[in-house]
Amino acid sequence: MAQTVSTRPAGLFRRGNNPEKRKKRSEALTAYVFLLPYLFIFLTFTVFSIGYAFYLSFTRYNLLRPPEWWGLEGYRRVLCLESLLPRGEDAPPLVCDDLFIKKALPNTVKYTLIVVPTQTVLSLILAFAMDQKLRFRRLFRTIYYLPSVTSSVVISLIFVWLFSPLGIVNQIFHLNINWLNDPRYAFYTIMILNVFTTSGTLMLIFLAGLQDIPTAIYEAASIDGANKFQTLRYITIPMLRPVVFFVVTVGLIGCFQVFDQIYVMTSGGPLDSTTTVAYLIYKWAFRDTTVKMGQAAALSFILALIILVFTLIQRRIIEGSGSVGSA
Amino acid sequence: MKTLLKWFVPLMVLSLLLAACQPAATPTPEKVIETVTVEKEKEVVKTVEVEKPAERAVVRLSGWAASPEETALLQSILLDFTVENPDIVVKYEPITGDYWQQLKTSIASGVEPDVFYMDIFQFPAFVRDEVLLPIDDLMAKEGVKREDFIPSLIDAFSEGGVTYGIPKDFNTLGLFYNKDLFAQAGIAEPTDDWTWDDLKAAAEALSNPANNIYGLGVPADPGRFPIFVFQNGGAIMTEDYSDTLLDSPAAIEAATFYTDFRKNQIGAIPADVGEGWQGTVFGKGQFAMVYEGGWLIPYLKQQFPNINYGVVTPPAGPKGEGNLIFTVAYVISRNSKNPEAAMRVINYLTSEKAQTKVLESGFALPTRLSLQNSEYLKTNPASNAIFRGALQGARPFVWGLVGSDVNEQMGKALERIYLENQAVDASLKQAAQVIRQKIAEVK
Repeated sequence: MAQTVSTRPAGLFRRGNNPEKRKKRSEALTAYVFLLPYLFIFLTFTVFSIGYAFYLSFTRYNLLRPPEWWGLEGYRRVLCLESLLPRGEDAPPLVCDDLFIKKALPNTVKYTLIVVPTQTVLSLILAFAMDQKLRFRRLFRTIYYLPSVTSSVVISLIFVWLFSPLGIVNQIFHLNINWLNDPRYAFYTIMILNVFTTSGTLMLIFLAGLQDIPTAIYEAASIDGANKFQTLRYITIPMLRPVVFFVVTVGLIGCFQVFDQIYVMTSGGPLDSTTTVAYLIYKWAFRDTTVKMGQAAALSFILALIILVFTLIQRRIIEGSGSVGSA
Repeated sequence: MKTLLKWFVPLMVLSLLLAACQPAATPTPEKVIETVTVEKEKEVVKTVEVEKPAERAVVRLSGWAASPEETALLQSILLDFTVENPDIVVKYEPITGDYWQQLKTSIASGVEPDVFYMDIFQFPAFVRDEVLLPIDDLMAKEGVKREDFIPSLIDAFSEGGVTYGIPKDFNTLGLFYNKDLFAQAGIAEPTDDWTWDDLKAAAEALSNPANNIYGLGVPADPGRFPIFVFQNGGAIMTEDYSDTLLDSPAAIEAATFYTDFRKNQIGAIPADVGEGWQGTVFGKGQFAMVYEGGWLIPYLKQQFPNINYGVVTPPAGPKGEGNLIFTVAYVISRNSKNPEAAMRVINYLTSEKAQTKVLESGFALPTRLSLQNSEYLKTNPASNAIFRGALQGARPFVWGLVGSDVNEQMGKALERIYLENQAVDASLKQAAQVIRQKIAEVK
């Protein structure tokens, strides 16, 4: 680790007479020049946009009139919290939109709790299978990865047909379920779709992780007399821990932000059973006749906060004692 | 397991093939209004020598792009306009994709076009926030008279005695019926004098649930159900949109009548037969009657050319006629630098000459009263039935500032009755309560 110290970026504006330092300075300058186009785009379309959205979250804004400051009212309306804003005697009756608390948040949490473990386990199993010396291994890998490279809108439309009342799923299993129009099933249909599309990519990541584990460890284990299951339990899975962390984090963020499949397949319906937080943001910001941009911005920041908290919690859980987490 | 797989693969392929042949479900029929293919306009290259005026006023015109044919037609009309008005340059900037999202963001950044399409559904918010220019003075200057337009349309785009838009085209609902199914059932075809009782009796005679054939389409669609409330003497909102009347006895009665069709298996929603839009179900001959607008006519012509159907104005209820008007107007932005030129463009686009051209191409119904006796309407009874709807006590499809919420709640109220077997009055009361909350939110 010691040699990494010298590769620290040289101070750009520090004066140095030493030719080596000057060279480093010009190298750094070149680096910044190369970075400039990206930095410009990053600052305009990411940093500025986030900053402006943060400002908007404290305003009432319907796009037709200039934004009007109303402090925490937007957050209060989203969260339906009276305590967030002290209210006087003559205050108008409490106004809030309970769609987030009653539907969007529970839906999103449920979605995440079901989809993340399912897709992680499924892709891990697929990765194990693909790591064996099977015939047509490459073909299978390609097939499993195909859904991931297909546009999610296209897959969603195909699923709309597969799961229509007269669709192939009902025909094969002799069911009579109106998958996407029944509040009891619509959300599960979208979950199935999401597990189907993401498992391929996650499998690929696990596969890379599996092949990264040095064979020497397995050889040592077999010399010590470990059986297949012990090898899996005490070598493969612990060694995969950083990969699992990555897969679960990516899955978690993706699940909390699930939007396009819902937009295409159900538009949040039937009866709000598939309304997620991200879809609710879109609905408030663009769908309503009277746009609620401020409220939508407030919810965006609440969503970001939720994702941050969940990621931290899950980092704690997966890294456990922190013995392997440093890899 | 193996046999299952053996069947699965070919079935999968087959279903994909079949699916690919079917038209895409259209959950929002309003959008299909103008997707029509008619005989393509002949391409004519016009070279006209015009004197170059010293200064030319620029008018930016924006609307959603319905279809390439319709855009071409509009452009040809605009070309004629430029020839006659060399001092005005019209820049046509059609918006593809989400029109309202783009229009509203362009207003937010102050770069909105001078003239743009305004749907009646969105109109109240634009008036309240003073985006639209009052055009009465400009109309007088240009010689445009309110009396020349269908009253229900021009009134829809006026508020407090001030006119904000000139109606461009419109649609109403008609009762589309399948003549073959009526002949099979051996009952008389609908007439313009039908009532609810006739409708119900016909639906009973036409239905055959075992064969997936239902008398009437009764979707949980806020663009269809309200006509039953109107026909029952009720309304969805109060006159000033400050409250909803969805939980009034008239509305509850209408909803009971409407949803009973499905309850008694003499009506169904499109999802019951695996479709997203009842227009498709009608085309396939599974719904004998549906309430739809003029947009269904070109759709049927294209997708189901063999269907034998007729159209009448919606049967009257206990309290008389009731219908919905879906209409779009040309409006001028308050920030327009050339409002006079903008008005002249609008006047030209809604002139008798231009509207005749549009009507004859089959794209849309004209808003000028003088065109009600046109040759086209005489020879196209289906379009004529839809046109006449606007003259028979129809009300515009608009519910105030919270329009999308009212629509959503109306749809959900019907869905709860259909899918969760909730009682009609409880469901409508729940919807009304949410709507009141939403009205309070935008105050």
